[in-house]
Amino acid sequence: MAMVTANGIRHHVQQMAAKDTVLGEAPVVVFIHGLCIDSLASFYFTLAAPTSAAGFEVLAYDMRGHGRSEKPATGYRLSDFVEDLHELLNEMDVHRPVHLVGNSFGGTVAFSYAVAHPERVASVVMIETGPATEDWSTELGAVLERAKQLEDPEVITAIEDTYDPHTLRRAKSLRDGLRNTTIAREVPSGPLLSAEQIESVECPVLAIYGGDSIQAALHAKPLQRLLPRCRAEIVPNASHWVLVEAPQAVRDLLLPWVSEHEANASLLLEGASA
Amino acid sequence: MTTIPDQSAPEQSAAVVLADISRMLREVLGEYGMDDAVIEADTKFHEDLELESIDLVTLSGELRQHYGDRINFAEFMATLDLEEIIHLTVGQLVDYVVSCLGSATSVRGQ
Repeated sequence: MAMVTANGIRHHVQQMAAKDTVLGEAPVVVFIHGLCIDSLASFYFTLAAPTSAAGFEVLAYDMRGHGRSEKPATGYRLSDFVEDLHELLNEMDVHRPVHLVGNSFGGTVAFSYAVAHPERVASVVMIETGPATEDWSTELGAVLERAKQLEDPEVITAIEDTYDPHTLRRAKSLRDGLRNTTIAREVPSGPLLSAEQIESVECPVLAIYGGDSIQAALHAKPLQRLLPRCRAEIVPNASHWVLVEAPQAVRDLLLPWVSEHEANASLLLEGASA
Repeated sequence: MTTIPDQSAPEQSAAVVLADISRMLREVLGEYGMDDAVIEADTKFHEDLELESIDLVTLSGELRQHYGDRINFAEFMATLDLEEIIHLTVGQLVDYVVSCLGSATSVRGQ
């Protein structure tokens, strides 16, 4: 298991080399998972292998407080996750501008990263989320507030009676994660992005939503108002977990997207050396 | 730290592969104090062993370290749909490994 220290945190990293690389440097795709009960596994077992087979370098990592990465008690603002990603790319010598693909909160991290370090991002793909706006913060805060109910032993008993052992274990692990760290309090605090910051993103942005989720209604229109060139796609009959429910559909959107926008990576590199 | 896999290893029977995978799984399960779990071909990763998907990423690394790059658990999983992944058995993984190693023996149905 590869561990890379970035921004003072030991991060669990998984890489897959590009297969059948055509001439030149392979595009780099970075997968960023979602909050609390998610880990790099969601990407590792769905999109990572097909992305590598398509001729792209794959980098997936567990964010701080998640999966096999270090779990500090505090330090869970959005800016901490953005800085982690920046240092991780530097530590791993990834200097070619990357295609960031983030699931849920990971997509929000990806977008904030593109605001902070536009020269390092060839494109952004956000799955089931939007940029860190006031509305994003309010909705996420409410979700995390509801998760606090897991502290009530009766709620845990009800889950035990109603669901399978796997769900129970995930609920307990979520409860413990929220209890042992300040993640629930810190994440919604952002820092949030202004309209000007959102409008400043020049790289191509693709937003993918599950047709049965509320996220498209929350984020798609406001995002397209600020970023008219942003493309939004809805995968029918899928929930917030569209990535694991319909990986084929997400893959069919992602792979052509990376090929289409890889030229942007070269343009950014030329701009940097000019 | 990686060990160099023995590419010249003879064809391995399903029973040997099952024993290998059981040993790797016990290491992973040790973290949960479940290293005495019974592991058989029809044991399900999620329902019986209650493994999280991140545990299977660890197993994937162990498989590659032991058998070499021929075994790509992530590639195998990407061919399955969600229902198949939820109900995945140890025997199915054994069959996949055996097929990659070039042996015809199957562990299923034992």
